Amino acid sequence: MLKKIWIIFLRDMRVNTREAMTLYMMVIPLILAIGINLLTPGINDTSVSFALIENENPGQVEYFDDFAHTELFSDQQKVEDRVMARDDVIGILPKDNGYYIVTQGNESEMVIEYAKLLNVLYESDIQLEDARSEIIEFGRTVPPLKKKLVNMLLLMISMLAGMLISMNIVEEKTDDTVSAINVTPASRSAFVLGKSLTGMFVALFSSIAVLLITGFYNVNLGQAALVVFSTTILSLLIGFIQGINSDDAMEAAGSVKLMFLPMAGSIAGYEFVTGNWQIFFYWSPFFWTYKANDLILSKSGTWPQLILYVGIILAICATVYVLLAPGIKKGLE
Amino acid sequence: MKLLSSIKKELILASRGFYFYVELSFALVILAVLLFAIPQNFSNTSTEYLYFNLPQEGREIFINTILENDLDGESEIVELKAGDTIFEGELIKTDEKEIYILDSEEAIRKLVETNRYMGAVIELGDDNQLHYKYYLQGYESARLKNLISILHNENPDVLEERFNNLDIRPLVTDYEPISDRENTIPPLIAFSGSLMGMFIMAAYIFLDKKEGVITAYAVTASAVWQYLLSKIIVVLITSIISGLVIIMPVMGFRINYGLLILLLFTTGFFASTLGLLIASFYDNITKAFGVVYLVIIIMMVPTIAYFIPGWDPFWIKIIPAYPLLQGFKEIILPNGSIAYPLFVSTGFLAAGMILFAITNIRFKKSLSV
Repeated sequence: MLKKIWIIFLRDMRVNTREAMTLYMMVIPLILAIGINLLTPGINDTSVSFALIENENPGQVEYFDDFAHTELFSDQQKVEDRVMARDDVIGILPKDNGYYIVTQGNESEMVIEYAKLLNVLYESDIQLEDARSEIIEFGRTVPPLKKKLVNMLLLMISMLAGMLISMNIVEEKTDDTVSAINVTPASRSAFVLGKSLTGMFVALFSSIAVLLITGFYNVNLGQAALVVFSTTILSLLIGFIQGINSDDAMEAAGSVKLMFLPMAGSIAGYEFVTGNWQIFFYWSPFFWTYKANDLILSKSGTWPQLILYVGIILAICATVYVLLAPGIKKGLE
Repeated sequence: MKLLSSIKKELILASRGFYFYVELSFALVILAVLLFAIPQNFSNTSTEYLYFNLPQEGREIFINTILENDLDGESEIVELKAGDTIFEGELIKTDEKEIYILDSEEAIRKLVETNRYMGAVIELGDDNQLHYKYYLQGYESARLKNLISILHNENPDVLEERFNNLDIRPLVTDYEPISDRENTIPPLIAFSGSLMGMFIMAAYIFLDKKEGVITAYAVTASAVWQYLLSKIIVVLITSIISGLVIIMPVMGFRINYGLLILLLFTTGFFASTLGLLIASFYDNITKAFGVVYLVIIIMMVPTIAYFIPGWDPFWIKIIPAYPLLQGFKEIILPNGSIAYPLFVSTGFLAAGMILFAITNIRFKKSLSV
């Protein structure tokens, strides 16, 4: 049985490689990982942006540059136009006895307070060279946003791989190849499982590559491998649910959309819902995967915790599979 | 007439299919999430750990000043866990912060390292002046660190007085903020309604290719563009209905529904024709899906700028999802601009028409592809 699954997988890989599609599917997450690397430093550096008049007070611009982003404009009207743009930019304009702050009126209180504080520090002539506070750091270089984006990408990989599996199954179903398997020594289940291995391989390869590209190569790789393994099982389940239950590409596309909801909901639940309310997300394997990934990426996960989370993910997957088993068997007929 | 007949036929077929009901149930689920899972406003409280390494009198002055902003005017004793170690602390809860007062620098160090919040130690230096020691993670921006390092160079009372006397002049005074729940609507309808049309259209076309419908059109009196447009209109009607299902219960009659339907229509048209164009280059859904997936991911990037208004690089503004999100936001804002959604709608309609013309040429050339 295993040998037949392996042969089907190898054949599928050969076919897929010829069409460069599997390769493409594996490359997409890597491009996104590079995108995360490029995006996060800029986002992490976001504090407040000031719009000032060029050459009006170069010393002030130089001062603000150490604490905020500055943009220079030729006159007051252009500064006000910039402030009125859709992003948060605070204008600093001269008046008779100093400066005033121009806001659009919809900025958050935090942004305005930051701007006010910087103006007060500038007017008080407090220089960076005279700094009196001591800063002690723990040497962490990965900002929380990057960790969240990488975690989301890892979850999306499982969806991507799941979709690949489902599309493969749907294509075989519409081509009637599944029925043709009846006259070969391989069973239908072995055939579908063999076809699914491509998606599982994509999930495994992409997850590891994303961790390496985004600089998380110093996480506990054993723990990461455990979660990646459970993620591939999750991908398989997603692919099976979508593929077996869909008679054509249209239905599979609809299922894809439905599967995005528990994934997005689980991420939002983990990030925004606090305390006991998180219990409402315990049914979702995406929630546990995101939680487990978070521990690994923060390098704060212990083996018992990770084993527990992976156990929960596998138990949920197994339960869903058992519940859907009759439907899956029927779908293969 | 032929077009109307095609649309009518497609609508009847769609109402019998799975996709139409998936869209509606998806909209209902999103609505339930909006109403019951997303709070009216997200909690923005931050956590800080403080240790006052000062004589009792000095310590009390600081703590009493912080206590003035406590929600109930009283602190509570709590236990904090850092790995296997448990520390006892005094919790003061204000509108914006949860401040834990601890009894040792070691507690601050361990808690900051484990729980990844900011901590500070305030002590008397050799010069008998207050000395501030901040514990940070290391990933904070250089600009923030600069600010922290000079924050205590001036007497706080002097700073506060100057702070309160600053001249602030808002350019718009009648701005009414929207809740966090309302603020999440534009990304939800943009992706659930408008942009997913790209994926759905591609899937629709491959289904018809498989069944030979496109080839069959070659021997009918209908033109290919009529067939394509009828498919697009079915997707648009579905996305408008699902968009309204999500928005109406949350926003009531506070928004301009004419503008909303127009923007849903034009952005959906653009996304659907883009999906069609991508589909025209491939012979099966799996291949096209890879490209559509990448395009959808790129379209999602402006969502970051949407939620972080301080981060708004130029390149992000050329991604079509940027004006799409801002257009939906303007419609939801109480005093939002009417011109902007109209401008965005015109742009998407024009772009959609160009894409549609190219797609039509491609499908005409290769009817069976």
